[in-house]
Amino acid sequence: MKKVMQTSEFYVAIVVLALFLVIGSQSSAFFTITNLFDLIRSGIVPGIFVMCAMLVIISGGIDVSFPAIATFSMFCSTKILHSMHYDGPVLVAFLLSGLIGLCLGLINAVFISLFRLPTLIVTLGTSSMFSGFLLTFVGSSQISDLPKPLLTFSKEQIFKFTNDSGITVGLPVAVLVSLGVIVLVALLLRYTMMGRGIYALGGDAVSAQRIGFSPIRIQFFIYGFVGLMAGVAGMIHTTMMRNSNPVDLLGTELLIIAAVVLGGTRITGGHGTVLGSLLGLLLVITIQNSLILLGIPSYWQRFVIGALILIGTGVAAYQVKRSIMKRKSIVS
Amino acid sequence: MNRQRRSLTLVSLMLAVLLLLLSACSGGESTQPQDQTGQQASGKKYKIATVVKLTGVAWFDRMNEGIKRFGEETGNETFMQGPQKADAALQVQIIEDLIAQKVDAITVVPFSAEALEPVLKKAREKGIVVITHEADGFENTDFNIEAFDNLDYGAFLMDSLAKSMGEQGEYMTTVGSLTTKSHMQWEEGAYKRQQEKYPNMKAVARKLETNDDQKTASEKFRETLKAFPNLKGFQGASGNDAAGAALAVEEMGLQGKVSVVGTSVPSVSKQYLESGAMSMIGFWDPADAGYVMNKLAVMVLDGKKADIKEGANLGVKGYESIKVVNDKYLFGSAWVGVGKDNMNDYNF
Repeated sequence: MKKVMQTSEFYVAIVVLALFLVIGSQSSAFFTITNLFDLIRSGIVPGIFVMCAMLVIISGGIDVSFPAIATFSMFCSTKILHSMHYDGPVLVAFLLSGLIGLCLGLINAVFISLFRLPTLIVTLGTSSMFSGFLLTFVGSSQISDLPKPLLTFSKEQIFKFTNDSGITVGLPVAVLVSLGVIVLVALLLRYTMMGRGIYALGGDAVSAQRIGFSPIRIQFFIYGFVGLMAGVAGMIHTTMMRNSNPVDLLGTELLIIAAVVLGGTRITGGHGTVLGSLLGLLLVITIQNSLILLGIPSYWQRFVIGALILIGTGVAAYQVKRSIMKRKSIVS
Repeated sequence: MNRQRRSLTLVSLMLAVLLLLLSACSGGESTQPQDQTGQQASGKKYKIATVVKLTGVAWFDRMNEGIKRFGEETGNETFMQGPQKADAALQVQIIEDLIAQKVDAITVVPFSAEALEPVLKKAREKGIVVITHEADGFENTDFNIEAFDNLDYGAFLMDSLAKSMGEQGEYMTTVGSLTTKSHMQWEEGAYKRQQEKYPNMKAVARKLETNDDQKTASEKFRETLKAFPNLKGFQGASGNDAAGAALAVEEMGLQGKVSVVGTSVPSVSKQYLESGAMSMIGFWDPADAGYVMNKLAVMVLDGKKADIKEGANLGVKGYESIKVVNDKYLFGSAWVGVGKDNMNDYNF
């Protein structure tokens, strides 16, 4: 019990619970299945993004390029499938998008692990490059008439029912993909040597190398895997929106990173859990999706979201400061 | 890795980036003017260039149709140019080139008004006629033409929403961003009209921000519906707002129970107009705007500047009786409302 109380997940969970109670006391619509489903729906794509950001942060880096990779992959693959009037299994669309994402992720990996450039600088640069390349050479206008398999997929819902006010409530099938990704990442971190390697690398790169981990291999794995997941997430976004817009998703990285950090992942690397990050995301999504329920006017909604980013990144900055001080005290 | 090798890697990296930039620049050059035929007959013929924000997008492709049509009908040499990516500096460069080519008139849809003031000042000093579009308040122009007054357009959208809602019930409005001036004015025009004409309607949530993002618009609509279960109407300002709301309406099976109107283009909204999740979309036809800009240019070149006054007829639907503010800012009433029955008339 004492051990549970010492984890940061515990505190995030308490904050989330308190938030639920506050909002629930203000609006009777909050504790309904409809609202629960809406919250889950909002978390389908960010859920995968959070896993991406978390993996990189645990390994001691920071990645801001995953939204750009997602947008690039989804738009390119939609464009390709659209131009060939694709009419086969929908799996191919996800594979194609994931594959494009994988390649872009490997570009990040080359700069980061072979040239040893700082991760933030590299991903900031590639993020802008991917997006610029997409708009210049691939296309800048959105595709609204999706290929048929994608459209059919996007209209499929699970747990579908009609509530008493005549509204159809359900979740897109894509929620299963997100769930799969989350379980996969959890297993990876917990039971595989690669997972231990990621923690080790983030804890202390030199020690990790001394005990036999290859930083190059681990980093190639991380950035490739993140690219792959981002590509899949992008395709999910396209099917959920029933259109592919080359400027979508960009700019969501800050809130995602804030969610990861709020969830107890240390920005300095080496620490972080899937559960914590998901709780952090839940916190962010709940706040984002409850401002109207709480009756907050739209000017203030901006303020609240800004405050959220500030708190999230503030926590991160504090962690860095503390970690530097700790190191200094060891040295002296 | 020792220090020397590291700096070497850095230098080679920088070189690589530089090369990339260079190749990107050569790729980003403006499109070549298309040669116009039909230089025949009557009166003096002019060479008129239209510079748009971006080429290769449906909106300006459509504008090019209007520009070409004007050229064919009048025998003037009209053509469209624009950068391949939305960048103010590239637009400046294109206009510099056009000044050097000694065109008679330049009509512009500025990407950033401030960035273009100096170069258009230079153009006017060289005797080139300048007409702008979507740049209300622009200094260095002979005339700026807007398709409509923003407040009037908002009122038009509200009329459609009211009609669809049976003039009663609760509604919500969204804007792309609280700092987008046009969106805010559309919303205010709509709200004012509702206050004056439709007393049985009530705005329950106003000016929710969607960041021009369809997903956000969809989520805001879902949430507002939870907070106000009697919600009957939605009016969106940004091009993706109405589509986002209509997506949610369709997923929740609320077609016919909630009305959705907003600014959008047919290609984006077609599927929702078809399914009945969206009642109507409003926009202005860029082909007409392109046509009118060229027409104004010719009128100025022909010395008929005095004819461009309050109530003047420019001969295009929606521009039959223009409104003039401060002598050079012109407004049409050229909004287009598109529903299920006429959505196939537009190809953008």
